[in-house]
Amino acid sequence: MAQTQLIILMTSAALIIIGFYSAIFVDNIIKKIIGISFIEEGVNLFIVAIGYKAGGIVPILMPDMNTTWFASNAAYPLPFGLVLTSIVIGASTLAVMLALVMVIYKKYGTLSTKVMLADTSKQEEYNE
Amino acid sequence: MNELIPLMVIVPLMAALLISAFSRFNTVTKIFALVVAICLPIIPLASNYGLHYFGGYEPILDNVTNAVYHPAITYSFTFLQQVFIAMVGLLTFLVVFIYLTKYRKVSGPYLFLLFLGTAAVTAMLLTDDIFHMFVFFEILALAQVGIVAASSINYSYEMALKYMILGSIGSPMMLLGIGFLLAMTGTVNVTDIAAAVHNGLINVTSPVFLMSLALIFFGWLYASGLPPFHTIKSGIYSKAEPHGAALLQSFTVISMISIVLIMFRIYSTLPIFEVLIVFFSILAMILGVSMALTQTDFRRMIGFLAVGELGFIGLGIGLGTQFSITAGLFQALNEIMITALLFIGFGAIVNATNEVDTRKLGGLLAYHPKVSLMLLIGGLAMAGVPPLSGFQSKLMLVQASLSCGFPEISILAIMVSIATFVVFVKTYYSMFLKPKPNDLEVENKEVPRAMIFAMGILLIIIILLGIFPDIVINGISNFVGGIL
Repeated sequence: MAQTQLIILMTSAALIIIGFYSAIFVDNIIKKIIGISFIEEGVNLFIVAIGYKAGGIVPILMPDMNTTWFASNAAYPLPFGLVLTSIVIGASTLAVMLALVMVIYKKYGTLSTKVMLADTSKQEEYNE
Repeated sequence: MNELIPLMVIVPLMAALLISAFSRFNTVTKIFALVVAICLPIIPLASNYGLHYFGGYEPILDNVTNAVYHPAITYSFTFLQQVFIAMVGLLTFLVVFIYLTKYRKVSGPYLFLLFLGTAAVTAMLLTDDIFHMFVFFEILALAQVGIVAASSINYSYEMALKYMILGSIGSPMMLLGIGFLLAMTGTVNVTDIAAAVHNGLINVTSPVFLMSLALIFFGWLYASGLPPFHTIKSGIYSKAEPHGAALLQSFTVISMISIVLIMFRIYSTLPIFEVLIVFFSILAMILGVSMALTQTDFRRMIGFLAVGELGFIGLGIGLGTQFSITAGLFQALNEIMITALLFIGFGAIVNATNEVDTRKLGGLLAYHPKVSLMLLIGGLAMAGVPPLSGFQSKLMLVQASLSCGFPEISILAIMVSIATFVVFVKTYYSMFLKPKPNDLEVENKEVPRAMIFAMGILLIIIILLGIFPDIVINGISNFVGGIL
C-alpha cells in the first residue's frame, strides 16, 4: 500500500472518530450535525482512497492512448463516481437537517439537544 | 415488455417532480396524482419478468477467468418484485386517494414525498447494485422524514430530526461497509460480489469482510427499525398522519427485505450472519410486543406491534432454508397489508374523536360499527387467527423453525402471537367495547368513505390470501430457490 493511500485512510479514520465523538457526546445540535458531516466526509474520503493508484493517471481515455497501457495505469474510476453521488446525498441530508433545526430552534429558542429533543412521548396531544 | 421495468421507478419519480412543480394548479394536480397512483399497481402487473441493463451495457464474459461482469446498473424483475411493487403501488394509490379526498386544497410537496418514497422502495427492490440501493435508501430516509415533518401532529419536527440524526449515523456506516466490499471485489454489483465470494476469490474470514457485514448490518437495523432503533421507528409512525404511517410502515418492510436479500446473497456463507439476524429478530419480537403492551397511545401501540411483526420476517429469513425464507417473505407481504389496515382504521378513529389515548376512549362500536368490524378482523389477522393471511404465514414460520430443529423458537413465536392478540384485544376493548366516557365528544361522526374503501380493499386481499395462500407462496418459493 502506497504511503499516500495510508495517510488518506488514517485521515478518514480520524474524521470518522472525531465525527462520532461530536455526534454522540456534544450537546449543541449544530455541532452534532457538523460531527455527522465529518462522518460522511470521512467515509467519502475512504472510498476515494480505494480508487487511488500510486503513479496512476486520470481515468480518461484519450484518442491517442493505447488501451492496454491505459488499463494498467489509470486510477480506478468507479469509487470517484460513487463519491460524487454520495456527496450530493450528504448535502441534501444536511440541508434537511438544518432546516428542521431552524424550525425547532424558533420553537424552543435554544440549540441544546437535551431541551429540543427531550422525550416527547409523555406530552403528546393530537392537534389537527 | 421489459421496457416497463425502469418505468416502475421513473413514473413515480417524474410524477413527484411534476406535481411539486405544478402544485398551484389544484385540480390538475389532483387528477394527475390520481391517474399516476392508479398506474402504479398496474405497471408491475403488466410487465414481463426479466432484466434491464441501464445504458444497454450487457454483461461481459471474461474469456480468461470465464466469469461474467455486469458493467451497468441492473434491475432484476421477478415474481417477488412484482408482488411487492404491485402491493406498495396499491397502497400508494389508496393513501393518495384518502389524502386527495380529505383536503380540498392539496399540498404538492406532500404528494411529492409520497411518490418519492414509492419510487425509492421500488428501486431498492429492483436493483442488483448495492450502491444504487444505498442511494435510494437515503432518498427513502429523506422522504420518510418529510412525511413525518409534514404532519400536523405536535412534536413531529422533533421526531423527524431525531430520526434524521440516527439515520445520518446509520447510513454512512452502511456506505463504509459498501466501500469495504468495493475495496475487496472492485465492483458494487451484487451478482458479481456474490460470485466472487462463492468462487473463493475473497477470504470470507478476513476482518475486512466481517467488518463490512457488521457495518451493512448496522445500516439494515436502522432501515428496518429492529432493536436498538425500534423506539424511534414506532415514534415516527405515531407522529405521521395515519394514512402516511400506513405508507411509512410499508416502506420500512420493503427496505428491510430488499437489504436483507442482498446481504443474504453476499454473506450467506458466514454462519454468524444467520445467527445475527435470528438474534435481532427475536429481540424485536419480544421488545416490540412487550412495549406495545404498555402503550396508551394506540398509534404507538400499532407502531410497536409492527416492529414485533418485523421480527417474524427476520426470523424466517435468518433460519435460512427455502421454506423459512418463503414464510418470512410471505409474512412481509401480510404485514404490509395488515398494518396499513390498522393504521388507516385507527386514523378514522382519530378523525372522529381527535383523541389517541385509549384510556379516554370508549363505546365507539355504536358510532363506527363498520370501522370496528374491519379493525377487529385486521387485528385478528395480525395475531395470526385462522383463516386470515397472518395465520398462514405464522404457521409456516412455526413449521419452519420446527423443521430447522429450533422448537424453542417456534414456542416463542407462538407466545409472541398470543401476546399480540392480548395487546390488540386490550386496546380494542378500551376503544370500542367499554362504556363511553362522559367527557368524550365524538365530533365528526362520519368516517371518510375513502378510508372505508381503502380498508375494504385491504381486507379483501387479507382474507383472499388467508384462504388461497398458494397464489403467492409458490412464486415466492421459486424465487427463494433461485437465490439459494
